[in-house]
Amino acid sequence: MDKFRLLFQHFQSSSESVMNGICLLLAAVTVKLYSSFDFNCPCLERYNALYGLGLLLTPPLALFLCGLLANRQSVVMVEEWRRPVGHRRKDPGIIRYICSSVLQRALAAPLVWILLALLDGKCFVCAFSSSVDPEKFLDFANMTPSQVQLFLAKVPCKEDELVRDNPARKAVSRYLRCLSQAIGWSITLLLIMAAFLARCLRPCFDQTVLLQRRYWSNYVDLEQKLFDETCCEHARDFAHRCVLHFFASMQREMRARELRQDTAGRDPEPPEGPEASDGPDGGSGKAHLQAISSREQVDRLLNTWYSSKPPLNVASSPGLWGGGLSHRAATVAPGTRLSQHTDV
Amino acid sequence: MDKFRMIFQFLQSNQESFMNGICGIMALASAQMYSAFDFNCPCLPGYNAAYSAGILLAPPLVLFLLGLVMNNNVSMLAEEWKRPPGRRAKDPAVLRYMFCSMAQRALIAPVVWVAVTLLDGKCFLCAFCTAVPVAALGNGSLAPGLTPQELARLLARVPCPEIYDGDWLLAREVAVRYLRCISQALGWSFVLLTTLLAFVVRSVRPCFTQVAFLKSKYWSHYIDIERKLFDETCTEHAKAFAKVCIQQFFEAMNQDLELGHAHGVLVTATAAPAATDNAGEEREKLHGIMDQGSVNRLLTSWHECKPPLRLGQEEPLVGNGWAGGGPRPPRKEVATYFSKV
Repeated sequence: MDKFRLLFQHFQSSSESVMNGICLLLAAVTVKLYSSFDFNCPCLERYNALYGLGLLLTPPLALFLCGLLANRQSVVMVEEWRRPVGHRRKDPGIIRYICSSVLQRALAAPLVWILLALLDGKCFVCAFSSSVDPEKFLDFANMTPSQVQLFLAKVPCKEDELVRDNPARKAVSRYLRCLSQAIGWSITLLLIMAAFLARCLRPCFDQTVLLQRRYWSNYVDLEQKLFDETCCEHARDFAHRCVLHFFASMQREMRARELRQDTAGRDPEPPEGPEASDGPDGGSGKAHLQAISSREQVDRLLNTWYSSKPPLNVASSPGLWGGGLSHRAATVAPGTRLSQHTDV
Repeated sequence: MDKFRMIFQFLQSNQESFMNGICGIMALASAQMYSAFDFNCPCLPGYNAAYSAGILLAPPLVLFLLGLVMNNNVSMLAEEWKRPPGRRAKDPAVLRYMFCSMAQRALIAPVVWVAVTLLDGKCFLCAFCTAVPVAALGNGSLAPGLTPQELARLLARVPCPEIYDGDWLLAREVAVRYLRCISQALGWSFVLLTTLLAFVVRSVRPCFTQVAFLKSKYWSHYIDIERKLFDETCTEHAKAFAKVCIQQFFEAMNQDLELGHAHGVLVTATAAPAATDNAGEEREKLHGIMDQGSVNRLLTSWHECKPPLRLGQEEPLVGNGWAGGGPRPPRKEVATYFSKV
């Protein structure tokens, strides 16, 4: 169990690890999907190629889209791409970096499917059995062309009565499977070599730019997550105070009703302010959340977060970037711009 | 069991992965249900299509409704939709957001069922076996010798291997392969279309209405949390109410009994401070709402007239306000309460 716990913790440690975990999960699902799928070649002339190629290409496309869907960073990338500039300049390099990492991860599951299909061979045999050159095989010498075409179309179906136990069928089938596996292994080798070269040679080009982009893309993702979590905390705090406020106001209302029913000469009790019933709340360390306490303020906060993200500079105090407050804003702003890009 | 607990903890670590986990579980359950279901084509001309259509469409509907029912947020949506506006205006964007997110989650299991049904092929085979092109696939020259009803009756038996007797006209395997191939093609196309649609919706959303989305997400979460916190506060209140009620009952019984005994006065004198300390603490928790009528009024008011989303100011009193006593300070905030929230 410790092993699992360590594994989970490792995968949750950073957003990249989470994405890697999801990518692996999707690849495992692909393998299971392929093995449980019941391949069914129609063994009819025009349909074979459509079915075989369709099965080779459509599931990978669907898996690619699933990979993009399951990856949170694709949404982060589109958000970062479409946001208004505000106080924070946009860096197209970061968007490109996120895009390439998302695409790489999304391509894993489709490649697994294609390689499995090629190494297994059934798709290839089904798709290309009608396009085999009959002259390669001696068994077709004494058949008319239409008979040959009919025979070739039925090659993928072992149990069909026309081709059952026929050595010609076995020959064609073996030939196509061999071709399919050769293509499959070649593609595997090519991909692994390309990945190896890319990994090894990357430090030779633009290493510092790469490090910066990786940092800032991770930052953008984490910032969005933290903002969502802070909003949740704030909503909880807001709701808590709202409910207590409601109870206190009911109390005041009933007290006022009692007083109206009492004799007029008695002095009215001063109503309890909301601070009294919010006593336990006021003592908690969430002072920054208590400043935002109405619907309009929350809406304004969310609007500002989208249209005008704060600059990446926490050394200055907040409030200097609220639209044109003072002359200090003008002197601080260039400094914030420069700090985002360390000049190499 | 440990494994399940850890998986559960991992899924609950944040809201999004929890909901994704639920979707994954429902998809698996749907696939498992299909494989456990014993498909049984009637192999009769009129009934095949009806049975297949039923199998293809009825379980997805049931799964969709089940998905909605099992989602706790459905009652929250219904409450928010039907409540009187009171002092808090209703935001249709929030209602739409809540409905869309629930519907999206509930659609996963039906989509998986339809996809698995089409990819398996038995349902499609059963429905369209009478529409197979005999001329192209079998011995077309023998077909005109049969009346349409006889042909239909013959072809309707294709899904049932043990009673099919039309091999002279059309080999059963050929027909089965043909129909299954079309069914699988349809199945994969359906899967591709659904994922494409989901991808487009997810990716295109940040290009439009991002702010509205952030607001709706926040306020729907807020409504959920507020409801839960209100229930928790009511439970605490009920507990405190019950405690005070019982303490008062015991004290009253005690006093009743002591009216008959002379020495009981000393006992109450020593016991009273401790009792009043506890009672005082519990009374604090009651927020001044101490009888059935007040509690009922509180609950009615919560439903009919939710408080405005504005804290830090004193609430104006409903009704006539102060009916006597000293002069009130002028309330400048009254107008803002009734402005559009």
